[in-house]
Amino acid sequence: MAAPAGARRPPGARRRRVSSEPRATKREWLAGYLFVIVPMLLYLVLNIGSMVYAVYISLWRWNLRTGPVRFLGLDNYANVITDPVFQKAVANSLYYTIVWVPLTMAIGLFLAIIVNQKIRGQTFFRAAYYFPAIASSAAITTLWLFIFAPDGIFNQVRGVIGVNPLFALFGIAPNQNWIGNEGTAMNTVIALNAWTTSGTFMLFYLASLQSIPSEIYEAAAIDGAGAWDTFRRITFPLLKPGHFFVATVAVIGALQLFDQALIGGGVNGDPNNALMTIVLYLYNTAITELNFAKASAVGIILFIVIMTATLIQRRLFGQAPAW
Amino acid sequence: MTTTASTVAARTAAADPVGDPSFGWRRRIAYVVLIGYALLMFVPFAWSVLTSFKTLPDSVSGSILPSPWTGEGWQFALTKLNPPIPTMLFNSALIAGVVTVTNLVLGSLAGYAFARLHFPGREALFVIVLATLMMPDQLRLVPVYLMLHAVGLTAGVGQYVGVMLISAVVGTSIFLIRQYFLTIPRELEEAARIDGAGFVTTFAKVMLPLAGPALAAVAILTFQGTWNAFFWPLILLQDPGHYTLPIGLLFFRFAGGMQNDWPPLMATVVMATVPILVLYVFFQRYFVAGIAATGIKG
Repeated sequence: MAAPAGARRPPGARRRRVSSEPRATKREWLAGYLFVIVPMLLYLVLNIGSMVYAVYISLWRWNLRTGPVRFLGLDNYANVITDPVFQKAVANSLYYTIVWVPLTMAIGLFLAIIVNQKIRGQTFFRAAYYFPAIASSAAITTLWLFIFAPDGIFNQVRGVIGVNPLFALFGIAPNQNWIGNEGTAMNTVIALNAWTTSGTFMLFYLASLQSIPSEIYEAAAIDGAGAWDTFRRITFPLLKPGHFFVATVAVIGALQLFDQALIGGGVNGDPNNALMTIVLYLYNTAITELNFAKASAVGIILFIVIMTATLIQRRLFGQAPAW
Repeated sequence: MTTTASTVAARTAAADPVGDPSFGWRRRIAYVVLIGYALLMFVPFAWSVLTSFKTLPDSVSGSILPSPWTGEGWQFALTKLNPPIPTMLFNSALIAGVVTVTNLVLGSLAGYAFARLHFPGREALFVIVLATLMMPDQLRLVPVYLMLHAVGLTAGVGQYVGVMLISAVVGTSIFLIRQYFLTIPRELEEAARIDGAGFVTTFAKVMLPLAGPALAAVAILTFQGTWNAFFWPLILLQDPGHYTLPIGLLFFRFAGGMQNDWPPLMATVVMATVPILVLYVFFQRYFVAGIAATGIKG
């Protein structure tokens, strides 16, 4: 039915469509709005609305049941910023970000470059490296707590293979309580998250690597460039958009470190706040102290920190994000 | 394994125009690194499975295989937790299932509209979609809780609804489906439109059937993300009977304090991971494609 109608119609159809344009346009508008209305309403309330609401709450002394009690201006913000525990949280989150982001990006890039070669089992290796990222943070962190417990397998294996003298140089005991020791807790979380996320970054980098035209590599090979020179002078610089994307996603994620800190160190980020992060502080303020106004202030501060970090990266990479 | 690696090395070395003698060795080292790192990915999970069949003293004794093999850890995890693991599995599956469906339906409608339909304000609305991806969830903790509380969605069955609403249609779903629709030639739907099909028919009969790969990626990423979700379920599921597995696992671990009962904890870890593992084994390419697609933004 469709084919003959279509075949007969073309000249007339064009005229008809032009003449009915206003009505067709209106119908298209209507369809467009109807198609997007549910998500837009949800975002209006749960994203834009809640952000405005968070700013509002953060300016008041807030009663759990009755809501606003007294206008405080920026007092909640001042309370947060002067709290030594919050300062510790900021320091910890920044330390985590500064160590974890480059480390995981480097592993991800390294894996991407190897897996992008003509190797056998390419699909298998890609799937294997992404594998830890599919499990839940709760399951993975519990598993790591077990592996890095004082009597866990990690300590036992290094005892058996005789590398403990090496660890002793760094002041690490044979039965080190990795997550329960102030000096090693955060680094253990960094190792855990580097392990789970390097595969994700590998996939991001692979997408970016595949956008580099192969002619460039052919030209480099003809000029006799070695593997390292090719990487340093061609691959790495041409991956700039990839670096920017991965770094932005990584920093945003790193500044929101929470799950592993709570599961590993409880609501106070034990031991001695070594695992206290900005988001754990926010959670603790809201859920344990039930101080909603102060928690909202922490949320706004976090948002400002994340926006600033993103803008700095944009400057560093000299490029606007695609969005 | 060695033969495979070396034959590949030999073959590629032969094909290598420069004939660099170190090439085969380099390749061999590359395989050692590749396989070593792959083992590092799997061994911890294998360890959790083995441990779940051990007794508590055996679990920290350093023995590789359980001696004796025991189902006590599993029995404890399945019967002694509050809520029981079957309840948590049900809660996780219910929430993840509903959220997957809403993301598919709402995400494909909106993704199509943003890719193809013209209406005033479209670009501005799409910027809002992308902006939601930048916004830290924690900023919304207090306001979202207060709003859901005000409409009665923080008690009873409402707790499920609250968690579902928060992830009913995430920006990534709309974005992924829109990007996919942008790659489909316009001629297909123009033909349908000339035949007099309306917007809804064109979308449902012509465009949606073509979006299979994008829908599969969104379905899998959403199901996995929701199954594993930690933050919002932790905030919004207050009553233990409504806990999902990750939340139950957290409180199970806290309940032990420093005296962790590893075998049942590991049994719970295995149960929380296996459903996603099964999905991954069967639909691995959609996981990888979906993640890669979020990486090629714009």
